[in-house]
Amino acid sequence: MNIEKNIKLWSSLGMRATFGLIAMELSKKYPDLMITTSDVSTSAGLDRYKNKYPEKFVDVGIAEQNLIGISAGLSSEGFKVISTTFAPFQTLRCCEQIKVNLGYMKNKICMVGLASGLVLGNLGFTHCCIEDIGVLRSIPNISIVVPSDPLELFKVLSGAINYKDSVYIRLTAGSNTRIVNSKDYKFEIGKAIEILPGKDVAIIGCGNILGECLEAASILKEKKIQCSIVNMHTIKPIDKEKIKNIAKNNKLIVTVEEHNVIGGLGTSVAEVMSSDRNNCKLVRLGINDFYSSGGSYEYLKNIYGLSVEKIIQTVLSNL
Amino acid sequence: MKNKKKYIEIFTKSLSIDTKKFNEKIKYNDVPEWDSIGHMTLMSELEDGFDISIDTDDIIEFSSFKKGIQILKKYKVD
Repeated sequence: MNIEKNIKLWSSLGMRATFGLIAMELSKKYPDLMITTSDVSTSAGLDRYKNKYPEKFVDVGIAEQNLIGISAGLSSEGFKVISTTFAPFQTLRCCEQIKVNLGYMKNKICMVGLASGLVLGNLGFTHCCIEDIGVLRSIPNISIVVPSDPLELFKVLSGAINYKDSVYIRLTAGSNTRIVNSKDYKFEIGKAIEILPGKDVAIIGCGNILGECLEAASILKEKKIQCSIVNMHTIKPIDKEKIKNIAKNNKLIVTVEEHNVIGGLGTSVAEVMSSDRNNCKLVRLGINDFYSSGGSYEYLKNIYGLSVEKIIQTVLSNL
Repeated sequence: MKNKKKYIEIFTKSLSIDTKKFNEKIKYNDVPEWDSIGHMTLMSELEDGFDISIDTDDIIEFSSFKKGIQILKKYKVD
């Protein structure tokens, strides 16, 4: 595939449709790949996969606990397994099955949580997912990766399928995602990437909200403030060395995440910083531990302070 | 294009576009029905309807009805 040529088009497809495309590519490479879902073949862009490989596609219906049980069983028989449904149902609804079958028994599957964060806000908080990282992070033997755009999703899935542990891949944003990675690059699970160099403040983010961070950095640059932007795509295992290095070389770190400020990226960064000597202030931007009424994606990002303006304001008021 | 009638039929049916709304200048995201998920359904229906397998690069480049005609020609759908 000509990835660089088509970066803009990948981005216009969004995460879910890209996932469907990647599934087709992976199936060519891995004949033992099975995809399991809970009634979301169309929503996950998997119609083509379902039609082409009906024997490698299991739709368990709206029964997410079974989704994990069946996926773990297939894994124990030697299949490579990707399970998928909307993020709250892929994680919270089947939390005990994830703990026992994946964490404790170490059956390895890749779980793809569709439309995590706030993007399904029009359906209310039953369909938003601001807790998934926090909950899964406390279960051993599960890694957590949050791709920043469709190009990175391609790299994450390709890496996760052969990773040593089960991986939860958290997809954020809708279609027409912001482009975070404008050219091809090397990706490795657990290794953060500095996507913009700067010396005054470090902004660490994950997911498509990094697009807002890049826009904020561009505006701050006009005010003579140089922000570095770090794509901390892997929340577990977190890149401790990178965080220690950033804390050593900056007076201010701002973390930005489409997740509760408790338990997610900001918490992970704080845990690393608190175990090391440094003189760096940490400010965590995210959903401030409350549920609002539902609303559009842009509306919810605004009320939770995840807008470009709020990021800029946070940097200016803390420098 | 000999298969144009069939192409239009698959196009409008898979995207649930009212045939009165359809015109050949339509592009990806011009109507709410042709969003990213609708796009994948369209690709699936075209593959079924013409018994072809569309490459990933072509799915990404399939950005308009007219571009679709060019792409389908590569698969001998004329």
